[in-house]
Amino acid sequence: MNEYSQRALLPEGLHDEIMPTAEAEARIVHALTACFASHGYDLVAPPLIEFEESLLSGPGAVRGAHMFRLMDPQGQATLALRSDITPQIARIAATRLARAERPLRLAYSGQVLRVRGNQLHPERQFTQTGAELVGVDTTAANVEVILLAVEALNALGVEGLSVDLIQPTLVPAICDAFGLDADTALKVRTALDAKDVGALSGLGGDAEHVLARLLAAAGPADAAFNVLKSLNLPASAAQKCADLWDVCAQITAAVPDLKVTVDPGEFRGFRYHTGVCFSFFAAHGHRELGRGGRYLIDSAGNGSGGESATGFTIATDSLLRVLPDLTPPRRLFMPFDAAADAGAKLRSEGWQTVAGLEPVADDFAEAERLGCDHVLRDSEVVSCGGRKN
Amino acid sequence: MSANESLVIALPKGRILKEVMPLVRKAGIEPEAAFDDPNSRLLRFATNHDNVSLIRVRSFDVATFVAFGAAQLGVAGNDVLMEFDYSELFAPVDLNIGHCRLVVAEPKEMSEHDDPRRWSHVRVATKYPTLTRKHFAARGVQAECIKLNGAMELAPQLGLCRRIVDLVSTGDTLKANGLVEVEKIADISSRLVVNRAASKTLPELVGGWVDRFREVVNGD
Repeated sequence: MNEYSQRALLPEGLHDEIMPTAEAEARIVHALTACFASHGYDLVAPPLIEFEESLLSGPGAVRGAHMFRLMDPQGQATLALRSDITPQIARIAATRLARAERPLRLAYSGQVLRVRGNQLHPERQFTQTGAELVGVDTTAANVEVILLAVEALNALGVEGLSVDLIQPTLVPAICDAFGLDADTALKVRTALDAKDVGALSGLGGDAEHVLARLLAAAGPADAAFNVLKSLNLPASAAQKCADLWDVCAQITAAVPDLKVTVDPGEFRGFRYHTGVCFSFFAAHGHRELGRGGRYLIDSAGNGSGGESATGFTIATDSLLRVLPDLTPPRRLFMPFDAAADAGAKLRSEGWQTVAGLEPVADDFAEAERLGCDHVLRDSEVVSCGGRKN
Repeated sequence: MSANESLVIALPKGRILKEVMPLVRKAGIEPEAAFDDPNSRLLRFATNHDNVSLIRVRSFDVATFVAFGAAQLGVAGNDVLMEFDYSELFAPVDLNIGHCRLVVAEPKEMSEHDDPRRWSHVRVATKYPTLTRKHFAARGVQAECIKLNGAMELAPQLGLCRRIVDLVSTGDTLKANGLVEVEKIADISSRLVVNRAASKTLPELVGGWVDRFREVVNGD
């Protein structure tokens, strides 16, 4: 450890991605976007930095406290670094691609930066990969994006994938229906945010009963819907549950062995959403892999609402943590005197080749020093262990 | 039952543990004998259920163990939950034990001519700096917190600061140290806490125990 090593430490929440995770993550991103493309989602790539104002419109309205800002020396305008890519996709759909045919299917992958991480996900810079389906507000559209994410995550080998279905507008609808005043509604939100049934006490009457049952209903989909049906919810809230049920029934029919849970009291972190939402978990992961749901695009750029869209974002670093170790690539050492054209053919067969830049006494020792498990000898691939492939 | 479906329940050491254990036992969990042996050096205890084990940690650490998924269930007061505000913790059952209040207290003679409505800046000794700062911020009062881990009541006596934020159950400790309660921040009781990811990925198992504890509490 020298002085430079210490000076080169990075700020909290930032780190150098090195081998082998950097390559593994690149492969994950490629697999995800290829899956999205195979379903007709077109890749778009917005810039890292934009005018602060446009990053804060539509679904970006709740991101203000999360963004790094800087001044543009050219136009003296305040710029912000994206902390979430979804608002950028919404902006593209509302402006550049306003006249493109609907439904509009867009995919993206890129780095985001946020002012602070949280305890479970301390990274301040990470890669978001996702897809958005713009312009259709139907159960079929909700189902399409969930199944797209499920297909992509299963194809990568996520073990024990589960989907949690959420209807963040349900609790506000119930508060409205019971005519709770603003102070009480705030108390309810805080209690439900922490899923703290104790904090609901003192609310009294039907509202306390219904909300407490709602909190207790979280769990496997069938059981949760049975509780919801028994609650005699007001009409507006009942409709929201029915929407959720339709989505649940269709994704279960499409992927029968998928684990589906329902959490009717959840809305933490789903501040801008207007309909069915969802998050993804892996059996042994401590944090969610990704999330998404329905929201409104700010079509006129004045906060008056507009087109409906749904989509999801996967945090690629969280995904990487739950995937089985990727098979290491086969590495082949090409001694200094190997024929120059031998490598091309082997690389096309899937070998990674490492060239010796000067003659050495023992090619096998050199191969192992450089992390290769095979050596090219007399135009033949020889394994370092058995000394014969 | 695979090893992947095993549960760890984190319980707080000390005063609350005596109140928690009857509930745990009523829920049908019986720890191995070493759990009640004060000389045991074990930190993790098997139970009569193959897939359930207990750990005993400091009350603040219960929240941390459960939030990070190292334990799937736990018992923690809402004082601890408010201090950490972990988004990965749920508190689905109020266990109705460990009742006390979180209060602002100050020396008796000072309280006689002190009007809490006119505070603009306070210096407070507390175990709960985040929660204290948030409480005062909501009233527009600047709070400078001095973090202590215990014996808060000494702080005003020895001139560390004039006010404290601490848990009070009977009020005897305050009284013995010449302090009086001037403002209540919250009523506190112990909650059953659950890790968010575990409640999604093991819904039957985790939900089953949550229901058991809820029945035990409601049956009383």
